[in-house]
Amino acid sequence: MSVIAPKFRVSEFLRSVLDNIFWIVVILTLVGIPLLQIILFYVPLPVYQGELINPFLTLTWISHPELALPLVKAFLLTDMFRIMAFPGFGFAALLAAGVIFVERKMLAKLQLRVGPFYCGKIEGILQLLGDGLKLISKEIIIPAKADKPIFIIAPLLFVGAAAAFVALIPVAPGWVVADVDLGLIGVFAVIGFFPIITVLASWSANSKYPFIGGIRALHQMVAFEIPLILSLLGIVILTGTLNLSEIVESQTNFPWIVFLPIGAIVFFIGMLAELERIPFDLPEAESEIVAGWLTEFSGMMYGLVQLGSYLKLYAFAALFVVLFLGGWNGPVFWPPLEETLIHEGETIGPLTVQTPGLPIFSMEFFSGVIWFILKTAAVIFFILLPRGVFPRIRIDLLLDLGWLKLIGLAFVNIFIALGLLYSGVIGPGGLM
Amino acid sequence: MGTASGIIKALNSGIKHLALKRFTLRYPEQKLKFVGDGYQFDPTTGVGIAGYKGRHMLFHDKCTGCQLCAIACEGVAEAIAMVKVPEEWKQNKKAIMPQIDYGKCVFCGLCVDACPFYALYMTNDYELSSYTKEGLIYTPAQLQVKPDVQQDAEIRIDDRGATHG
Amino acid sequence: MSAKLPPGLALQKVDERIMTLNVGPQHPGSGHMRLIIQVDGDYIVGCDPDPGYVHRGEEKMAEYRNYITNIPHLERPVIHDSCNILYPYCLATEEIVGIEVPERAKYVRVIASELNRCVYTMYWLAIYGIFLGHSTMFMWPAGDRELLIDLLEKMTGARVTHAYFVPGGVRNDVPANFEDVCLRQVNYFEKRIKEYADIFYNNPILIHRTEKAGILSREDAIRLGTTGSVLRASGVDFDVRTKEPYDAYGELDVHTNVLKEGDSLARSKIPWMDMLESCNIIRQALEKMPKSGTVRTKLKPNPKGGDVSVYKRVESGRGSLGCYIVSKSRPEPYRVKLSVGSFRNLIAIPYLLKGEKLGNMPAVYWSLNYWPVEADR
Repeated sequence: MSVIAPKFRVSEFLRSVLDNIFWIVVILTLVGIPLLQIILFYVPLPVYQGELINPFLTLTWISHPELALPLVKAFLLTDMFRIMAFPGFGFAALLAAGVIFVERKMLAKLQLRVGPFYCGKIEGILQLLGDGLKLISKEIIIPAKADKPIFIIAPLLFVGAAAAFVALIPVAPGWVVADVDLGLIGVFAVIGFFPIITVLASWSANSKYPFIGGIRALHQMVAFEIPLILSLLGIVILTGTLNLSEIVESQTNFPWIVFLPIGAIVFFIGMLAELERIPFDLPEAESEIVAGWLTEFSGMMYGLVQLGSYLKLYAFAALFVVLFLGGWNGPVFWPPLEETLIHEGETIGPLTVQTPGLPIFSMEFFSGVIWFILKTAAVIFFILLPRGVFPRIRIDLLLDLGWLKLIGLAFVNIFIALGLLYSGVIGPGGLM
Repeated sequence: MGTASGIIKALNSGIKHLALKRFTLRYPEQKLKFVGDGYQFDPTTGVGIAGYKGRHMLFHDKCTGCQLCAIACEGVAEAIAMVKVPEEWKQNKKAIMPQIDYGKCVFCGLCVDACPFYALYMTNDYELSSYTKEGLIYTPAQLQVKPDVQQDAEIRIDDRGATHG
Repeated sequence: MSAKLPPGLALQKVDERIMTLNVGPQHPGSGHMRLIIQVDGDYIVGCDPDPGYVHRGEEKMAEYRNYITNIPHLERPVIHDSCNILYPYCLATEEIVGIEVPERAKYVRVIASELNRCVYTMYWLAIYGIFLGHSTMFMWPAGDRELLIDLLEKMTGARVTHAYFVPGGVRNDVPANFEDVCLRQVNYFEKRIKEYADIFYNNPILIHRTEKAGILSREDAIRLGTTGSVLRASGVDFDVRTKEPYDAYGELDVHTNVLKEGDSLARSKIPWMDMLESCNIIRQALEKMPKSGTVRTKLKPNPKGGDVSVYKRVESGRGSLGCYIVSKSRPEPYRVKLSVGSFRNLIAIPYLLKGEKLGNMPAVYWSLNYWPVEADR
């Protein structure tokens, strides 16, 4: 289905431009000016070089951006930036949105068909925007007999738990939202919330299909948490620490997957089951229960649940990268900024631009982030691939895997780790 | 470990298919090409001529108003009714011609088989939607119009898979 | 309840453990029919299939239309396998009216019949994939089926419900360079369906789900009267094309695929192996086809026969499909009875589902090659 664009008329175009300008001016006056008054009266503004920040100073900054650099740098080191933008919510949400789109297109290519195609000029890039707008515009229907407070809170809790999970993962040296010494245990504490939230969401909907889906999700997630935790004990034994940043730093020479491949495989399978991805998607999309525990969610609540799901996917993939693949370690592939550029500035024609304090981040930081994103993308590719290749598993094989085979393999992994440690090959502190 | 090798082979097959071309036909930018001009029937030999069974086309200079098409359709879909036309033809003394209701027609082509005067053919036109049910009833004057179709996509097979192009 | 029940109804005690589920016509896992399943925990203890949701009275309507006008109606029970369901009807009518089919028409009929069989099997396989949760196995057969539907559309003029077979031959000859196009697309089709082995039939998860699920032993298969791929998956070597050859099958080399296990995996493999066999048959028929000749014998305007009754049967995608016509010297047949493969396999559904786990229900039920519309006619 394509949209036939109406013919272009200059009067229509001008009318739409004037319309937009009108509305922007109206909103700025009605909403912007009161907001400005509130900020000026009540919010204590920071002081910069002896002056209060005022609009004239901002105009100076717009014309001489190099004067604003120290403030930008200070802002980039605050906690709020970390939580909202870089290793926190904004970064993860952008990656999650990208993952949804890439998943649809990749599955389509695997199945020899075209995925989203018409929304956005090239191959449907703006499809996600369209989906988001659609979900926002839909009515949120709450079943009459549902438990209202819990039903409304459940998707928010889900996103909150997923965001808490994202907050624990280090992306670059020193860049983690919550630098907890017991990082790994913190991860599992947060993961332990997900079955509870799923059961709350499905129980509060008070309907048959969410109920069955919720019970199945509970069985599945609980069954696979144990192999997940056990498979990581090998790494903890060999590094001697539970802090995620230190685990990454211990992999400067080699990633742990070289020594503990079985643990990586067990963790990967457990990860697929925790994320409820095919082949383990019994709770969700089943030809027996309509959509599982998500059945009764509509509109933006469904959008929030999907956001939470894909944030969890990013966080698990990032955790895999941090624990087994070496996090941000990798060769720095472009040289640092030249010294002369920093001290004397750049001459372009008659102009000389001097920007003191320029390198906002070091080259190690950039290359670390890029290696992290590349490795996460590779892991996400391998998570998305089974969706096109495997059918859905039946519940008895699922429980058999989780409670029997994977725990056995995880113990084999622990023995290998202990063997490596006691034979003196490797240990906390690197190769011996 | 038969299971592990089975899983790896399945994943391998999946990854190999990422390199094949996509098969979808991008309708309405691409439309499939058909053989010839549409299904026709030759009453002398008693055999039809292969073609797509789309909208009918009525040749006013050959139709005699014998109603054989309406009689053939009676048992199938009752989509053909004979109506009076304001034209005067030498071979059509009663001045009646078939009017086809595409809300009922099943495009089986038995009416084309029934016509002994080479007057009713089927064409390649299949885009017949309308906003009203009355709009689907095509009068003999509408059936006279030759369809203007631009169809040129066909299946092409090469090393990297089949496409519609 | 103390009120008197209307005749025909009876009270049933509700058990505490057993729950009655209604896998109804509006269910993502059932097709167009209803299964009333009684479940004890996770095991099915009883099953009562309820077909009839798509019954349109085809056989009754056939008594009011003459032999030619019946054709668009009788092909509707299976729209994409329409040539095969018209095949026994045309063979029986030819015997009643007493005409012979030209040689070229016999080969064209064989090619159309095999193409239809492949088209139906691909659709069935697509739905089997979706029932098991395998979306790629839905997209690939649906896409590769287009290669054959394109061929059928060049040959007959319509993608489904072709209305191609008539008593006396076929309605029109194949177009000009049909042989080359057909050979090219059938060869590519065969290459594509061989790829399904890796991702579907040798997939360990699929094997775990369908192996030893719904085992039908050889004696039971014969005793219950099943037919088609269900019979051949239980070890019985029966195929109407080889045992009672009709049209050009006598001159072609048809190999029957037989598997011994009788479980769902075998029942889902046999149609796939049959498709590979169909590609061979099409290639042979294209070679041996007489290069010229008419494809239709002219019939008199209102064909009718004497006071006879004829039964003919062919092998369709589901099993042996028979047509029994009673004619009484009128242009309309007195009685047309279609004995379809799906209805005969229906008896196996309650028999096999008893004792199975609820998760196996789609895998077993759809593997019986059951097409609900055809069973209802």
